Amino acid sequence: MARLRKKPGFLYITVMQIQLENLVPVPLRDKVLQRSSDIWNREVTFTPGHFVKIKAPSGTGKTTLIHYLYHIRYDYTGQVLVDGRLWQSYNKEVIATMRQQQVSVIFQDLRIFEQLTAEENIELKRVMISQPYCTTEKVKEMAARLNVTHVLSQSGKTLSYGERQRIAIIRALVQPFKWLIMDEPFSHLDNENAQRAADLIGEECRARGAGFILTDLDNDTRFAYDTHYNL
Amino acid sequence: MQSFFGLLRKIIQTGIGKTRLLMATLGLAIAMLLLLLAIQAHTDFDQLLHSQQNQNESADFLVINKKITNAMMGQPTKSEFSPEEIADIKKQSFTDAFGYITSNQFKVTAAAPGELHFYTDMFFESVPDAFIDVKNEDWKWNTGDNTIPIILPNDFLNLYNFGFALSQDLPQISQETVKALPMKITISKGLITQEFTGRIVGFSDRISSFLVPGNFMEWANQKFGNGEIAAPSRVIIKTKDPSNPILVQYLDDKGYTTNQDKIKYSKTKMIVQTIVSVIGFFGVILLLFALLVFSMFIQLVIASCKREIQLLVTLGTAPRQLRRYLMRQFIPLYIVTGIAALLVLAGLQWWASGILATHNMFVAPMLSVFTFGAAILVVLLVYIVNLLNVRKYVGEIS
Repeated sequence: MARLRKKPGFLYITVMQIQLENLVPVPLRDKVLQRSSDIWNREVTFTPGHFVKIKAPSGTGKTTLIHYLYHIRYDYTGQVLVDGRLWQSYNKEVIATMRQQQVSVIFQDLRIFEQLTAEENIELKRVMISQPYCTTEKVKEMAARLNVTHVLSQSGKTLSYGERQRIAIIRALVQPFKWLIMDEPFSHLDNENAQRAADLIGEECRARGAGFILTDLDNDTRFAYDTHYNL
Repeated sequence: MQSFFGLLRKIIQTGIGKTRLLMATLGLAIAMLLLLLAIQAHTDFDQLLHSQQNQNESADFLVINKKITNAMMGQPTKSEFSPEEIADIKKQSFTDAFGYITSNQFKVTAAAPGELHFYTDMFFESVPDAFIDVKNEDWKWNTGDNTIPIILPNDFLNLYNFGFALSQDLPQISQETVKALPMKITISKGLITQEFTGRIVGFSDRISSFLVPGNFMEWANQKFGNGEIAAPSRVIIKTKDPSNPILVQYLDDKGYTTNQDKIKYSKTKMIVQTIVSVIGFFGVILLLFALLVFSMFIQLVIASCKREIQLLVTLGTAPRQLRRYLMRQFIPLYIVTGIAALLVLAGLQWWASGILATHNMFVAPMLSVFTFGAAILVVLLVYIVNLLNVRKYVGEIS
C-alpha cells in the first residue's frame, strides 16, 4: 500500500489491514505460552471487511488484545502491523486521524465522560471531524433503536451501565471506519437489547464496507461471523 | 448543537487555576506597561533633546583637538593626530563625516585699511567646504585671484565689540561693516612676500578659527610652506547626536576635547537612559515571571485534566486540536492585555505631551512606532512561549 503523506486531517484511503506477528503480552507471557491460542504468538491477518469473533475465556488477555489492536497499550513482544507498518511508526497526529476515520472502538469499561450528557458524549465524537459523518437526526434514530432516547439529556454520571453501553455503541457508530473493535459490547444488555444493538452494528458496518473484531466470553449467534478465533 | 471546542470547554476546566491565570495576566500587563514605558520614554527624550538642540539640522559638527597639558607644552607634534588616531576616529559609529583642519605653514599679517591703524600677525586654517556653516557666493578662490575670502568666528567679533572696543573707547563694528572692510593680508616666508586683499564673507558659529578656502591654503602652503604636509592638530567631525554618551566617553578616553557646550546634554541623557534602562529591566524580569506563571498555569490545567485529555486522545482527538483549543483560551488574554497596555500608555503620553507643551517642550502626543512594534513583539513572545509549553505538556500525556 503506497503510503500517503502523514499530513494531519488527511483522509487515509487505506484498506486498514491488521496483522499480528508473534504477539505476546509481556505480563501474561508464561500463561499465554503454556496453552494454545489462535492469536497469541502466531501470524494472524484480519481481512478487511470481515466480521471477526474472538472467543476469550476470562484471564486470557482479551482486553489486553483490544488495547494492543487500538494501540493504547504497548507492553508486548512481537508486532502489530497496520497496512504493513508497525503501529509505533505512525505519529500521534496520524493515529488521531485514523481513530477519527479508520478505526472505531467500544471499550469494555465504556469510558463515558461523566461531566457531559449522554447526547454530548455522542456529539463530541460526531463533531471531532470537521465534516461529521452522520447527522444529528441519524443519532436520534440510532438512540431510538437502542431505547435510549429518554436518557440523551441525562448527565453521564447518572447513566446505568446498560445505558452507558448503548451510548458507547452509538458513539462508536457516528464516525467513518474500516474496523470496529469491540470488547464485550453487550455485557450489560439483556438479550433483546443486545440483539437490537447487534443488528444496528451489523447494518452500520455493512453500510461502510467495514469489518469488526469482537471479543466475548462465550459463543453467540448475534452476527454472521466470517471468522472465529479462540484466544 | 455544540461545537467540538464548546464540548471541550466542558471537559477541560480552565477555571481551576483562575487566580493563577489572573496573576499571570496582571503580571504580563504590568511587565508590558513597564517595557513599553521604557521604550516610549526613550523615544520621547530623544525627541526632546533633538528638537531643542537642532531645530532644523539633524546633525552637529564638533571640532576635536587634543587637550594641551603642561607636559606637552613646547612640543607641538604631541598635539598632532597620527594617521592611526585619525583612522580610529573615522571608523567610530558616531562619525558621519570627517574633515581635517589644515593650518598655514607661512607667516600671515593683516592690516586694516585707512585710518584704523590696525596691524596684527595672524593665522589661517581651512576645512572642507561641507563643514562650513556660511553659505556665500564669494566663498571661492582661483589661482591668481588677489582677493582672499575669509570667514571669521562669530565669537571673535563679539569679543572685539563687547570686550575690547568698549574698554578701549573704540567704535563697535557691525557685521556689515566688517564685511565691507578690505584687509591688507601679507603672507611671507623669509624674503618672499605677497600681498592680498582679504575680504570677510561671513561669520561662523561652528568653527572658531580664521578660515580661508581650501585651495588657497593648498596653493599658499606649497608656495610659502616648507613643502611637507603637516599632520593636523585639529579635526572636525559631523555627528547626528553630540550628546551621545559613547562619543563623550570616547573623547574622554583618548584625552581629546571639544566644545563642551555641545556635549552638555550627554550627562542628562545618561541619567535618563539609566532610569529608562532600569524600568525596562524590571519590565523584562516581570515578563519572565509572567511567563513562568503562565507556564505553571498551563501545567496545572493539563495535569488536572490528565484523565480527560487521555480519554479524548484515545477517542481520536488530535494533539493538534487540543493545542488549538488551549491556545484559544489564552490568545484573547494577550491581545486584550496588549491593547490595554497601549491604551494606558497612549493616555499617559497624551497627558505628558500636554504638560510639556505648556513648558515649551514638544513631544508627539501619539505613541511611537517602536512602542507599537514592541507591544506586538511581547505578545508574540508570550504566544510562542505558551505554545511551546502547551506542546510540551500535551505531548507528554497524549
